[in-house]
Amino acid sequence: MNGSNAVLVDLTQCVGCGSCTVACKLWNGKHYDKGAPATGLHPVADHSNWTTLTQRKAEKDGAPAWRFVKAQCMHCEEPACVSSCMSKAMRKTEQGPVVYRPDLCAGCRYCMMACPFEVPKYEWGKVIPSVSKCQMCSTRLAHGRSPACTDACPTGALRFGRRQELLGIAHDKLKTGRYVNKVYGEREAGGTSWLYISDIPFGQLGFKANVTSESLPAIAEHYMRKTPALLLGGAALFMGLSKLIQRKKAVAAAKEGKREQ
Amino acid sequence: MAKASEVKEKMTIDRRNMLKALVGGCATASLTGCLVREQEPGAKGWVPQQYDAPSSWPPQVRGRVPIDPENPSIARDDRKCVLCGQCIEVCKKIQTVYGSYALPVKDDFICIHCGQCTLWCPTGAIVEADDRTRVLQALKDPTKVVIVQTAPSTRVGLGEEFGMPGGSWVEGQQVAALRRLGFSRVFDTNFAADLTIMEEGSELIERLTGKSEAPLPQLTSCCPGWVKFVEYYYPEWMPNLSTAKSPQQMLGAVLKTYYAKKTGIDPRTIFSVSVMPCTAKKFESVRPEFNAAGRYWKNDALRDIDAVLTVRELALMMKEAGLDFSSLPEESYDSLLGEGSGAALIFGSTGGVMEAAVRTAYHAVTGQKAPTLAFNLAPVRGLSGVKEASMDVPGYGKVRVAVAHGLHNARTLLDRVKAGTARYDFIEVMSCPGGCIGGGGMPRSSVPPADDVRRSRIRSLQIKDAAGTLRESHENQEVKELYRSFLGRPLSHLSHQLLHTDYVSRAKHLKVDPQALEEILAGQVTEASRS
Ligand code: SF4
Ligand code: SF4
Ligand code: SF4
Ligand code: SF4
Repeated sequence: MNGSNAVLVDLTQCVGCGSCTVACKLWNGKHYDKGAPATGLHPVADHSNWTTLTQRKAEKDGAPAWRFVKAQCMHCEEPACVSSCMSKAMRKTEQGPVVYRPDLCAGCRYCMMACPFEVPKYEWGKVIPSVSKCQMCSTRLAHGRSPACTDACPTGALRFGRRQELLGIAHDKLKTGRYVNKVYGEREAGGTSWLYISDIPFGQLGFKANVTSESLPAIAEHYMRKTPALLLGGAALFMGLSKLIQRKKAVAAAKEGKREQ
Repeated sequence: MAKASEVKEKMTIDRRNMLKALVGGCATASLTGCLVREQEPGAKGWVPQQYDAPSSWPPQVRGRVPIDPENPSIARDDRKCVLCGQCIEVCKKIQTVYGSYALPVKDDFICIHCGQCTLWCPTGAIVEADDRTRVLQALKDPTKVVIVQTAPSTRVGLGEEFGMPGGSWVEGQQVAALRRLGFSRVFDTNFAADLTIMEEGSELIERLTGKSEAPLPQLTSCCPGWVKFVEYYYPEWMPNLSTAKSPQQMLGAVLKTYYAKKTGIDPRTIFSVSVMPCTAKKFESVRPEFNAAGRYWKNDALRDIDAVLTVRELALMMKEAGLDFSSLPEESYDSLLGEGSGAALIFGSTGGVMEAAVRTAYHAVTGQKAPTLAFNLAPVRGLSGVKEASMDVPGYGKVRVAVAHGLHNARTLLDRVKAGTARYDFIEVMSCPGGCIGGGGMPRSSVPPADDVRRSRIRSLQIKDAAGTLRESHENQEVKELYRSFLGRPLSHLSHQLLHTDYVSRAKHLKVDPQALEEILAGQVTEASRS
C-alpha cells in the first residue's frame, strides 16, 4: 500500500486553531454539541466529532510546552476493524482510506472492539444507530482532492501526500534533531495512513505506546473469541435475516425493472 | 480489497430499511424506500469559500487564528466559522501578531486582545467574551450598588447599533439608557482621561527635565492591547511605557476609594462596570495587579473593575430590555466622577491622547495656555499610519512627538526609533486602526471596518471638542477637587499607589520569528507562500 495516500502531522507546527475540526464538520455535515466539544483540554471523540484536537500541557527542557494533538481514524494499512467486520461494512480502499458503509453494517460493533485506537464510535442516541468514524474524506480523494482538514490547516501542520513520500519527508525532518526519533504510524498496528512526528515523546502527548507493530487481524480474532456467544448468536440471526431480505429485495428490484437506473 | 472507484451506484439494502422490513414486512419494500443507493457516511457538506474542483494548489479555505478557550476578551462560536481566514488577515497583517512567532508554540495562545478579529469576521463567529450575564446578575442583586463608566468613543458608536449614521453623537441617550437599565450612577471615563493626562503629563515633564531617571521617549500606556504587545515583543521598552494606568483603571481605583469615602458607600458593595469600545479592556480589568482599591482597603477581593461591556454588549442589553432608543431623553453624567474635557473626549481617536497631553504639558511647563495649534494638532490627526509633529515649548525647547495606530504601524515606528533613524520625546500608540473609535468592541457597521466609518466617528469627537468650553484636562473642576481633597497632587504618594502601575515581560511565552516578521512587515506574505 505504499503508493497510497497519507497525511503527515507535524505536531511542532500546530498552533491549536481547530480549523481542522471545523473543516471536518463542514464537509461531513456533522452536528455541534456544546456538551461534547471537539477541541480543548478534554474534547469528546464521538459520532459527530470524527476528529478532535486535544490541548496537552507538556514540558520540554524543564519549561512548559503546549502541544495540540489532532486525533482521528488512523486508517491502518491492515485494519483490524476491516478483518473483524463480518458484513464487509469496513473496507480499506486502494487510495488509503478505511471506509465504513452503514448500508452493509449489521450493527454488531466488533470493529469498535477490534480497533487498537478506539476510533469507531456508535450513534448511541439514535433509534437506528450506525457506527461512525473519519472516512479520510474518501470521496474528496476519489476526485483528486485532499481531506478537508488538511486543506484548512493554516500552518501546514497537516500535509497530504503519498505515504512513501511523506515517510521520506518525515525522516528528513527527524534528521534535524529537533524531533524525537520516531514516526508514529510508520509501524504502529502494522503501519497507518496517518503519520505523526513530534518534538515531545509521544507517550507524554497521550499517544498509545503499546500498540503492536504487527498487523492486527489476529488480535481481532482474539477479541471475537471473547465475545459472548449470545451476542454472536444474535449477530448470526441478524446476518441471516439480512441475507433473506436481500434475496426478497433482489426479487423486488427485478420487478421494479429499470426504475432506479 | 475494494477500490474507491468501485463505489458505484449499486442497489443494495441498508440496515435501517432491513429493520423497517422486519417490523412491517417487506411486501411494500419498494414503496417504503428499501431500495437505496450504496452510501458512505459524511461528505454531505460543503466547505464554504472553496471552489470545489480538484487541484494541488492550496484552496481558498485559509483557516483561522487560534483562540484560547480562556481568553478573557474574545470567544468563537465554531458553528458560525467558515474558515475564511479574515481573522488571520487582520491579526497577521494589521496587528503583526499571528505568524510573528516561531513554531512550536511555547505555553500561550499569543493574543493582545484587540478584538480586531471580531470586526473582520464576516459571520460574527468571533465575538467578545460575555460579561453581560454577570452585569445582569449584579443589577438584580439588591445588595450591590452597580456603577458604570463610559469611554469617550462609546458615545459616537452606540447609535450605529440602532440604525443611526456612523459617528452619531448619543452621549445623553447613552446615559439615559444606562439609568433605565438600573445602573445607580453613571460616570464618565473622560473624567479619568483628564486624570490620566494630569499624571502622564507630569511624568513626561519629569522625564523631559531629567527629574526622573525613566527614559525617553515616553510611550503611552492607556491601550491595554499595546501594553501587552510591548510586554510580548519589546520588553526592553517597558521602562519607556508611562507608569500611568489607563483611564478605565484610574476611574475604577478612585471609585472604590475616593468616591466610596466621600459618599459613605461601603466599597465592598460597589460593582464597578465599564462600557468600552474595546475587548482588550476586559483583559486589562482582570490583570491581577489591578486591585488598587483592594490594597487601599486591605481587602484582596476588591477589584477596581468588576466587569467590562463592549458597546455591542450594551446595545444588546438595551434591545433585550426593550428600550426604545429614539424616545430616550438626553441626560447628564452624575457628579464627582462625571466631568470631562474636550481633551479627554478626543482620547477616542488616534492622535487624541497626544493632543490632550500637549495642551496640558505646555501649560504645566510654561504656565501659559498652549498656542492655537495645540487645539487642532493637524499633523497628528487623520488616518495615516505613522504621524509626527514637533512644538517649541518656551523654557524647554523642541518637543518631538509621534503617533501610530495599528500594531503593524507601531512596529514600523518603534523599529525606526530603535535603529536611531528617528528621535522622539513622546509616542502615542493605539492598537486599533483609527484609535479606540475603531476598537474591537465597537459596532460592526462595516465588515471589515472601513475608513469612512472611522472618519465619521473621529469627526464627531473633534466637533464636540471644538465646540466645548472646557478643552484642557487641567481645567477639569472635578479632577481639581479630587487632587484638592484626596490625592494631593499629581505623582503624589497616594497618586502612585492608586493611579500608577508596572509591567511584566511576557517574552518567555513566545519566540519571535524575525524572518517571518520581516516578510509580514514587507507585506509580501501570501498564504500560498507557506511551506
Ligand atoms: S480526513 Fe476528513 S473525515 Fe477524516 S478527520 Fe479529516 S476531515 Fe474529518
Ligand atoms: S488546522 Fe492545523 S494548526 Fe489548526 S489545529 Fe488543526 S492541525 Fe493544528
Ligand atoms: S484579539 Fe487581536 S491579537 Fe487576538 S486574535 Fe484577535 S486580532 Fe489577533
Ligand atoms: S474570520 Fe470568522 S469565519 Fe473567518 S475563519 Fe476567522 S473565525 Fe472563522
